[in-house]
Amino acid sequence: MKFLRNLVLSFVFAGVMALGTTSANAACKVHLGDFDWDSANVHTAIVSFILEKGYGCEVEVTKGSTSPIMAAHYDGQLDIITEVWRDNIVKMHEEAVNAGKIVELGVNTPSSTQGFYVDKATSDKYNLKHVDDMKSAEIAKLFADPEEPGKGRMTSCISGWTCYTINLVKHKVYGLEEFYTNFDPGSSGALDAAIAGGFKKGKPVFTYYWTPTGLMGKVDLVQLKEPAYDLACWTEMMVVVEDIKANGPDVFKDTCVSAYVDMALTKSATTKFANDPANKPIIDFIKKYSVPTADVNKSLGFYMEADGDLEATAKDFLKGSKAWTKWVPSDVAKKVKAAL
Amino acid sequence: MKKYKNYLKLFIYSVIFIFVIIISYRSARPRYKPEHYTDIFKDFSWLDDWPKWLDFPLMQPLNAGFDWLIENYGMFFDGINNFLLGLYTSMKNTIVDLPWPLVIAIVIFITYFASGKKTNTTILVAFCTFFLGFLSPRYWDKCIMTVCIVVIGMLLCIVIGIPVGIAMARNKKVRNALLPVLDLMQTIPSFCYLIPGILLFGLGAVPAIIAIFVYAVPPLIRLTDLGIRLVDKEVIEASEAFGASKRQTLWGVQIPLALPNIMQGINQCTMMSLAMVVIASMIGTRGIGDEVLLGLQQLNVGMATEAGIAIVLLAIIFDRITQSYGERIQERTQKKKEIEEHA
Repeated sequence: MKFLRNLVLSFVFAGVMALGTTSANAACKVHLGDFDWDSANVHTAIVSFILEKGYGCEVEVTKGSTSPIMAAHYDGQLDIITEVWRDNIVKMHEEAVNAGKIVELGVNTPSSTQGFYVDKATSDKYNLKHVDDMKSAEIAKLFADPEEPGKGRMTSCISGWTCYTINLVKHKVYGLEEFYTNFDPGSSGALDAAIAGGFKKGKPVFTYYWTPTGLMGKVDLVQLKEPAYDLACWTEMMVVVEDIKANGPDVFKDTCVSAYVDMALTKSATTKFANDPANKPIIDFIKKYSVPTADVNKSLGFYMEADGDLEATAKDFLKGSKAWTKWVPSDVAKKVKAAL
Repeated sequence: MKKYKNYLKLFIYSVIFIFVIIISYRSARPRYKPEHYTDIFKDFSWLDDWPKWLDFPLMQPLNAGFDWLIENYGMFFDGINNFLLGLYTSMKNTIVDLPWPLVIAIVIFITYFASGKKTNTTILVAFCTFFLGFLSPRYWDKCIMTVCIVVIGMLLCIVIGIPVGIAMARNKKVRNALLPVLDLMQTIPSFCYLIPGILLFGLGAVPAIIAIFVYAVPPLIRLTDLGIRLVDKEVIEASEAFGASKRQTLWGVQIPLALPNIMQGINQCTMMSLAMVVIASMIGTRGIGDEVLLGLQQLNVGMATEAGIAIVLLAIIFDRITQSYGERIQERTQKKKEIEEHA
C-alpha cells in the first residue's frame, strides 16, 4: 500500500512539475550546443545572453566534445551551434547539410590560423623560422620523443580530426617524418596541457596549434613558414588526405602541399528549428552574428583573467563593442543594454 | 568532561567557519563586493542567489602550489618519468618484436600453470588472445602496448598497495587517516589528475600509469586490509601461543590466510586499470583505447565497437588468469583448513 501511495504521489508531483515548467513558458526555447574549447564557450555565452535578455528566450546550453555534440545536432536535439570548425569535420557536416538535417548560417569568425609552431626561445636560439629548418637530427634531439628513441616529437592535431591526417601528409612531403613523430595528443585539453607544461618546465615545444585560443595569449609561440597557400595545390592534397582517412596511411602518394588556409568558422542550425516561422527573428540574428578575430582574442583574454566567468565575459564583450547592435532590432538591443 | 569536549569541538569548528568566510570575502574581486561590508546587513538581496563574494579562493593557491611543484621538483618527476618509461619501452619493444605465435604460446603457458592446469580456462584464454589479432591486425601491437601499461600499473599497485593495506589492518590510526584519502582517490573525476599528469610527466604512457595507480589501488588496499582483519582471532592466538613473533604471525599466518582476498583485490585492480587505460587515450596514451576514441571522433560506431570488443577480450584474459590463480590459492588454503578440522 505504501508503495502504491508513494507511486501516486510521485506521479502527481511529476505532473505538477511538468505543468510548472510549461506555464512558465518563455517566448521561445533554444537549445545551444557548446564545445570543450574556450572560443566556442565565449560565443555561446554572448549568444545566450542576447537571446535571454533581448528576446526573452529560455536558453539551455549543452557542452561536450566535438563528435557527441555534432551528432546530437545532426539528430535535431541541439538547435544551434555557434562555432563550427567546418573544415575539420567537413565530410560529416556536408553529409548532414545534403541530407537536409541542418542549414548553415554563415561565418562566425572570419579567419583563424592553423600551423606548426615552435616556442620563441628555441626558435631564436637555433634560428628556426621555416619547416625546412626543422629537418636535422640535432634539432630533432631538442624535441626528443621519450617513447620513440632517436626521433623528435611534434604534438599534432587530434586523430579523427582532418588536420591530423593533413599533418601526416605534410610530415611526409616536407621530409619531417624521418625526424619527428606525428603525435596524437588524444584531446584538445591534453594538447593545451602539453604545450603549457613544456613552457612551465622551460622545455622546447614543437606543436601543431591554432588561433583564436586563450592559451595563445599566454605563451610565446612562433609559427613556422610553409609554402604559401594555393588552392589547386590544397585540392590535390585533400584528395590524398581523404584517401588516407578512408584506407589508412599505406595509400600515401606524393603530392603538392601548402600552408593551412585561413579557415572561416561557421554557424549552423537544425532545419526543423530554422524553418519554424516563430524562430525567424532568432535565425536572422544568428545569421548576422560575426566577430572579428581580434575581438575574439580580446574576449578570450578577459575570459582567462575572469577565471572562467562566462557571464562576465559576455557582458564585457557587449559593453566594449558596438557592432552587435546591428545584429538585432533596436528594441532587442535596448533590452540587452538595460540588462548590462 | 566529555560534554565540554563536544562544546570545544563545536567552538573550534565555528571559528574555522567564520575565518573561512572572512577569507572568502576579503579575497573576492572588488566588483563583486558591496561597497562597504556593513551593506550586507542592510540589503539582503544576496540571500536570493549565492553571492559572488562568498567564494572560497581554493583555485589560486592550488595553481600556485602546482607551479611551485613543477619548478622546484621537476627533476624528481622527470626521474620517475624516465624510470617508468624505460620499463615500459623495454617491455613493449621486447614483446612487439617477438613473433605473434610465440606471444600466444607464452600466454597459454602462463594461463596453464597459473590456473593449476585447467584446460577449459586455458582454451578460453588462448582463443581470446588469438581473436585480438584476428579482429584487426592493427590491434595486435596496440593490445601489447595496453597490456604493458596495465601490467606496469598493476605492479606499482601491488608493490605499494599491499604493504599499505597491511599497515592499515595492523594500526587503527593509519586506517582512520587513510580511509578518507582512498575515498577521495576513488571519487575524484579522473581528468582532475590526468591533465596535471601531462604537465608533470608529458603526454604518453607515464601519466596513464600514474592515473591507473590512483584509480586502481584503493580496492586492492581495502581488500588487503579486510582480508587480514578477517583472519580468525583464534588462529592468531594459537600462533602467538606457540611463540610466534609478530613478523612470523604476519608472514606465516595472516598473509597466507588473507591471500584469496588479496587475489580478489588484484583482480579488481586489473579490471579498473583496463578501464582507466581506455580513458587515458584521451591524453595521448598509445594503445587499443585510441581506436575507440578515433571511432567516436569520426562517428564511426562500427570501428568503436570493434575496438571495444578487443578491450573486453583483454579483460577476459586478465580476469581468467588472475581469477583462476586466486581460486587455486583458495583451494590450497581451504584444504589446509579441512586437514586442521580432521585433525
